[in-house]
Amino acid sequence: MSGPTVRSGDRGFRYTLVAPSIFVLLLIGVFPIVYLLMVSFQGLTMTDNDTSFQGLLNFRALLDDTRLWQSLMHTVFFTAIALPAELLLGLAMAQLFIDRMPGRQVFIALLVLPVVVAPIVSGATWSLMFDNRFGPINQILGWITGEEMAVLWTVKPHLVYPAILMAEIWQWTPFMFLLLLAALSGVDKSQLEAASIDGAGWWSTFFRIVLPAIWPVMAVAILIRGLDLFRLFDVVWALTKGGPGTMTETISIFTYVKGFQQFETSYTGAVALLIIVLLTVLLTVLLKRVSIAR
Amino acid sequence: MSDLKITKLDKYYGTNHVVKGIDLEIPAGEFTILVGQSGCGKSTLLRTIAGLETADGGSIEIGGERVNDLPPRDRDIAMVFQNYALYPYMKVRDNIAFGLRARRTPKAEIGPKVQRAAKMLAIEHLLDRYPRQLSGGQLQRVAIGRAVVRNARLYLFDEPLSNLDAQLRDEMRGEIKRLHQELGKTMIYVTHDQIEAMTMADRIVLLREGRIEQQGAPLELYERPATKYVAGFLGSPSMNFIPCTLSVAEDYGTVMLPDGVTLSLPPSRVAALAPFRDRSLLLGIRPEHLSRATGEHRRGLAEIEVITDLVQPTGSRTYATFRLGGVEAVAELQSHDVSQPGERLKLFADMNRAVLIDAATERVVGNG
Repeated sequence: MSGPTVRSGDRGFRYTLVAPSIFVLLLIGVFPIVYLLMVSFQGLTMTDNDTSFQGLLNFRALLDDTRLWQSLMHTVFFTAIALPAELLLGLAMAQLFIDRMPGRQVFIALLVLPVVVAPIVSGATWSLMFDNRFGPINQILGWITGEEMAVLWTVKPHLVYPAILMAEIWQWTPFMFLLLLAALSGVDKSQLEAASIDGAGWWSTFFRIVLPAIWPVMAVAILIRGLDLFRLFDVVWALTKGGPGTMTETISIFTYVKGFQQFETSYTGAVALLIIVLLTVLLTVLLKRVSIAR
Repeated sequence: MSDLKITKLDKYYGTNHVVKGIDLEIPAGEFTILVGQSGCGKSTLLRTIAGLETADGGSIEIGGERVNDLPPRDRDIAMVFQNYALYPYMKVRDNIAFGLRARRTPKAEIGPKVQRAAKMLAIEHLLDRYPRQLSGGQLQRVAIGRAVVRNARLYLFDEPLSNLDAQLRDEMRGEIKRLHQELGKTMIYVTHDQIEAMTMADRIVLLREGRIEQQGAPLELYERPATKYVAGFLGSPSMNFIPCTLSVAEDYGTVMLPDGVTLSLPPSRVAALAPFRDRSLLLGIRPEHLSRATGEHRRGLAEIEVITDLVQPTGSRTYATFRLGGVEAVAELQSHDVSQPGERLKLFADMNRAVLIDAATERVVGNG
């Protein structure tokens, strides 16, 4: 090692300097996980503060819990629809707004507004919008069809998913739009001109030149939104509370209900650990696939 | 037959009239250089020919077909950009092949064509690299390769050498000229560099403020400029411009400078210049047409005496700066003709080659 030689007293002083931050990191980062691990091997519930070691009891219960796996599937389903929809809509909007036009700045500012609304507020607003008797959505449908409409958006099994997805996509498409607009404006104009002279059509220009150029930004956007969707909660909670039944229950809602409504503390600990493991594996694989730094 | 015919072409950027009713016809196989200072509309003209800008008036015909409303891909052109504009996520090979693939060239033909273009430009060993792994000169070769691999009717170059250093620029100048001789294609080349224009062009089109100032073969423009602007633009160091008047008696003409120096004109030029006597004129004389006076007098050589202010040897030549007729002038002399400032020099001014310019219109007068 190069650098000035360190006397032992100096070294001690160095450790003293970093000690507080290490302590804070341990406290907020490592301690909860260790504690979580401990709790998940116990049998804590609201009525039972049994801290004895229960072995893999909770983890075995995970495997048989169909409600857990269904909620995970719901989350995956929401993500599988909302993420591509937000991406494609955002990309299409960005493509539309890339050209100079009068009032462009104002339009962009207005379009981005949904992102600054707190998700729980937008969920509550959509809940009002979807109200079967007083909601504007049914009213507008009524004007169009000419008869009274009382569609039960947040109750009917075949309508809850469209309703939630609509709210979700409405709120987060602008996020994609904004990032992709920035990425698109960074694409070298002369490359596009060269391609147009070379005779490339719109699609091959897009896939061979534009997409590789915006991919780093796009990958990050997908990653951020993907993780957001994995912990999807607010909008669903405001609209359906996971219902009807547990039909729209996401993994976040399931964990919340188990932990803070039914107080199955130790079991919830096991669920949380499962989520941590799943996310870690998923992220590792994704980050490896998405070679962001090219 | 002409490959490109432009008629009354107009182009505006907002309210800014950039190209002002240009008429231009370029014969097949010619190497034409559009030259002028920045902002003269040369790049805009080229981009309008390419279809990257839309014309606001007039017509553009390529190979006899009006292309105003055709997109760039249908104009049968290839183009080399100033900043290379290579596709960064493709290998050199794919960069060159991109246009062929986009035009659905049979697969079996693409390989050999790319190979041939690469060989022509000596970039065969770079085919499997990415643009970011290449130097500026190599990038420009690839960009040229991407253009010449396609069998286009018209090849457009937009200041392709201006991002290269001086030595590489000299090398590529020769390379592009050789390429033109090999391919025999019609090429239009934009530059602000008068040396590029002089050395490479079959024909120079000199633009100024959106209009064609003069066009013709390089030496024609150099030796018989139509205006003061053309005379001053071509040549380095620039032509000297000295205020003067002309007096003519019989077949004997004299140019008089403000400081009393007189230079007699060769008799052959007097008749043509006679109508401009007693007008306010400028004497335009190139530095290389001022030489150290020798004992023998030849016809058309006028002797002047000057005191040098500044001596700049370049090795092969020495530039001497002095005051003549109240303005600063430069003579291009033999290396050892002058050694230090303050030296008194006798020079011959070659009045056969000098031009006289009407100070009011800035047009060269009496030139045939």
